[in-house]
Formats: sequence, C-alpha cells, structure tokens
Amino acid sequence: MPSNGFSLGIQPIGEIDNFFLKVITGSFLGELSIKTFILPPLKSPEYAFNKRKIQYDAGLIINRMEKMKFPEYTKIIGIIDADLFIPVFSYVLGEARMKGRCAIISLFRLENNPERMAKVALHEFGHLMNLKHCQEKGCVMKFSNNVEQLDSNFSFFCEYCIDQLNYLLKK
Amino acid sequence: MNQNMSIMVVDDELVVRESLYHWFDREDYHVETASSGDEALKKLMKSNFDVLFVDMKMPGMSGFELLKKTKELYPDAAVVIITAYGSIDTAVKAMKAGASDYLLKPFKPDQLSLVMEKVLRQKKMNDEYTYLKGQLSKNNRFNDIIGESDAMKKVYSMITEVAKTDAPILILGETGTGKELVAKAIHAKSLRCSFPFVPINCGALPDSLLESELFGYNKGAFTGANQNRKGFLEVVSGGTLFLDEIGEISQKMQVDLLRVLQDKKITRLGDTRQIDIEFRLLSATRQNLDEKIVSGDFRNDFFYRINIISIEIPPLRNRREDIPLLAQHFLNKYSQETTRKIEKIDRNAMKYLIDYDWPGNVRELENAIERAVVLTKSKTISLDDINFLKPSSSNSLISKNASLKDMEREHIKKILEDNNWNISNAANILGVSRSTLHRMIKRHHLRK
Repeated sequence: MPSNGFSLGIQPIGEIDNFFLKVITGSFLGELSIKTFILPPLKSPEYAFNKRKIQYDAGLIINRMEKMKFPEYTKIIGIIDADLFIPVFSYVLGEARMKGRCAIISLFRLENNPERMAKVALHEFGHLMNLKHCQEKGCVMKFSNNVEQLDSNFSFFCEYCIDQLNYLLKK
Repeated sequence: MNQNMSIMVVDDELVVRESLYHWFDREDYHVETASSGDEALKKLMKSNFDVLFVDMKMPGMSGFELLKKTKELYPDAAVVIITAYGSIDTAVKAMKAGASDYLLKPFKPDQLSLVMEKVLRQKKMNDEYTYLKGQLSKNNRFNDIIGESDAMKKVYSMITEVAKTDAPILILGETGTGKELVAKAIHAKSLRCSFPFVPINCGALPDSLLESELFGYNKGAFTGANQNRKGFLEVVSGGTLFLDEIGEISQKMQVDLLRVLQDKKITRLGDTRQIDIEFRLLSATRQNLDEKIVSGDFRNDFFYRINIISIEIPPLRNRREDIPLLAQHFLNKYSQETTRKIEKIDRNAMKYLIDYDWPGNVRELENAIERAVVLTKSKTISLDDINFLKPSSSNSLISKNASLKDMEREHIKKILEDNNWNISNAANILGVSRSTLHRMIKRHHLRK
C-alpha cells in the first residue's frame, strides 16, 4: 500500500449501480493495495453531450473533473454509463492523460461485465500514473479497443508494469 | 518499443492534436504536434520524423500542399492524411501524391493501430530496400579495388568486358595483389551476381580434402563421412566458383576438374549417380603456369580450358602512383576501425612508402598502415612509425658494397620476380638468351 498518503477517489457520474462501485474498490485494493473512496455522484454531464454523435466528449468531462476541488484525492477516476468519444476517435472505453489527475471510464460498451470495467479502470489508472501501453501478452496495460481485446487481457499488470507502478506509487 | 519512431501530428484543431498526441504518447512513440503546415515544415527542418499525420483542411497551407512539400523535401517521411467524411476525392488525390494512407474522421482507435502497422511495415521494407540497394551498388563498384593508374584502369576495363561473358578467366598476379577482389568484381558485375560466389583456396587444402570439398560425398564414402554432404560444385549452382592458387592442384584433380568443365556433371564420392551442375569458373595463380607446363607439373589441356581469357594484375611496385591513394584509404579504414584519429601520413613517410618495393603488394601495404595506425603516438604517421619496413634486398646489397657475384644473383632474382618468373621476359630485360638465363638460374641456385 502506498505509504505517502496516496488516495484514489472514484467518482460516479450519473446513475451507477453500487455493485460496479464495489467491484472497482475491490480491484484496486486486491491488485494494488490501494484504498479507494467513493465520492458523491455527479449529475449527467449534459455539457459534454454531442447531439450529432449521440455520445459524450470524454475530454470535456475530464476537463470539468480536473477543475473540481478534491484536494484530498491524489487521483480520481470517473465512471459513467454512457458512450464516450474523443474528437478523432468514434468511441473510447476510457480516457486518461499521461500523468494526469483525472480519468474517465465508460460502462456503455462493456455489456454489464464488472470484470471488464475493472480492467479499463486499472488501465486508465496506469496512464494517470504515467504508464504507457505495454506489449506484454495479457498485461492490463496492453491496448484494447473492444471487448474481445479486453477479454484477452488479464485484470492485473505484468511484472514490468507492476514494478514500475509500485515505484511510482512510492515516490 | 516504439521509441525509435518519431511522429508529428499536424492539425489546426487543438483537440485533435491533443487526442492524437495522448494516444501516440501512450503507445510510447516520440510525438510532436504542429498547428499549421508552416510550423510542421519548420519542425521538419530541425529534426527527422518518420510519420506525419496531416489534417487535409487547415487555414493557410493546406494538408495537400504540406504533403507535396514533405514528399519533395523529405521523401522518407510517411504522410498519413486525416480527412472528414465527404472529402474522399481529396483523399484519393492525396494517395496519388504519395500519402501512405488516409483516415476518415472520426475513426476507431483500431483503425489508427492498423494504419500505424501498415506504415511501420512499409517503412521497414523501404529501409531494407535502401540497405540492399546500397549493398548492391557497393558490390557493383570496384569498391575494394583501389587505383587510378593506367595499369589498373586496364584491369577495370577487362573486368567489365569479361563479366558480360561466361568464359573461364585466369587471374594472374603476385601474392597480395588482390586476385580474389578481381574475381568478386567479375562475379558482381556478371549475370550470375544473384547466385553464390564460392571461393576455394586450393593451396590450403590437401588433395583428398579438396576432392571431397568440391565434389561432395555420400555417407560412408570414407572414414568420417557420417552424412551426405553437397560439394562446392553443387552448392555454387548457377554462380561463380573461384579456385585460388590453381597452380597448386594435383594432376589427378586437374583431370577431374577438366572432366567437370567438359561434361558439366559431377558424381559425389561414394555415389554412382551423376548430378548436373552449372557454374562459371574463375581461377587465379601467382605462379607461372607456362613454366609448370614445361616442367610437366601442369596439364596443357587443363590450362587451355581455364585460361580462355587472362587478366594480369600488376604488382604494386609497377604502379607506384597508386600508393598514396591506397595508403590514404587504409589510413581512413584503420583510423575508423581502431577509433584512433590519425589524420595523415607525413611527406617523408609517404615518399618512403612510394619508394618501397612492396614484395607483399597491397596486402603488405595494408598491414603496414594498420600497424602504423596502431603504434603511432601522434596524429600523423611519420617515418619512425614505418621503420619496420626493411628496404628491398637489392637496395640493401648495394648499400653494403656486395660482391659482383651477389649483385648479379640479386639482380637476376629481382628481374625474375618482377616478371613473375617469365623466363622469356626476364631474359629479354637482362639482354641474354633464355638458355643463358636458365644456366644463370642454375648457377645461382635461384628458385621461385
């Protein structure tokens, strides 16, 4: 467990089933020994809705989250049950900026599968911690853009990524 | 993994630049962005980019213009065009102008991955092509044969002429003159260049080993033949076989090879089946084969078979004007190899190199320069660095006030060596008849 007061906030956006929130909490505790905190849910982000695409702009949501004041949390991962896009891509399962503070993941294309959600959350968390995509077979940091690719990954980090992540968490 | 690839995203929209930047960054590529064509060109001037992702519609310089300029100035950079639905015509136009691919906005991350895979594959193939092209042109040049003297120009012209033919060539020259390099150049310039070039030093192999190496053998053909093995005559198939020191091979081997050259068939040792073979023969010798024929050591018929055309490489002492060029070439070569920055050979040392007789020819010069590069303590090779080169025997005798008999012996020996022991030529130069020269050789106990 990170010893330097590291804390991870989970931010439900719109209505999110409690079961998914429990799974995500369990995943971070089990895989990384990180205790997570569930934040009060936010309203559906109408500001990020694109009528033409009928999707939500992940970038805009992240921008809004980063402006929110939650100084007690080192990183925050938002969860939304809506389809996300970024300007060049027709959809994304999750979005995070390298070394950023906030990330967002979408349940929309995961077909109500909590394991898939946990994988996307761990993956985006990896990016927040400055981990890049990994080429190691099965590593949760391996790029996946659909559920088939996601299913071929494990819900844990390879030995190289976990080493690096532990180092970064202790920094 | 992708750190060696450098990518530039050129788009006037910040969100697009940022999205792609983050995606490539996460993929571990080195990535930069530019908001206009002009900014992209400025960045291209400063550093190399492997792939450019260029938006078609930009204010000022359009993506298409940037594509054309990039292809003109930096043809190795791959350009992927990003365009919106409805402008497929433009995308087609871009492909014709040299774009590697195009992406229609918005695209799935999968599509971007596929485009990157394709571009990487293309780039790898281009790199391989450039490398192989370089290798090929290296082979086609007289790359390792150096010299601008008339004597060498004649050799180059002979190489070019004979390369076109399929005739057996006999390459003559003293030790160290570069006979194998000439053989390689003939092969590289011939139609057989894409087939193997197989060099064999006949002088280095005992007769029985040479036979098994050339003809191959079947399991059990002799003690130690544990498995079937193809001989060089089979391996060379379609290519060029280079037999160095052909003067060293036995009479029996001459007969065997003569038969091979006539029938184009071989039989492996321990086998009865005949195998059809096809190759070109190049041979080389430092010996005087005419003399060997006279003495009965070399078969007449075999000689005529391998000597349809002969190329004679002059000894280095007969093309002294090439010595500075060769010396400089070897100086550069060994300075690089040893990472010792030796800049030049001073005037006195160069004069000494030019005056030296080089009995070991170019090989001896190469060794001398290598040794000097390793041992010198300054950045210039001076006379002290090459003092291990002893003056030729004739010069040393003169300086030592040798007897008339010794002088005569050394002079005859030198003329014979200069003429590759061609008795007629040497007798001509010495102004005596062939029989007199033979007597003198006997009297002075001279031997090759």
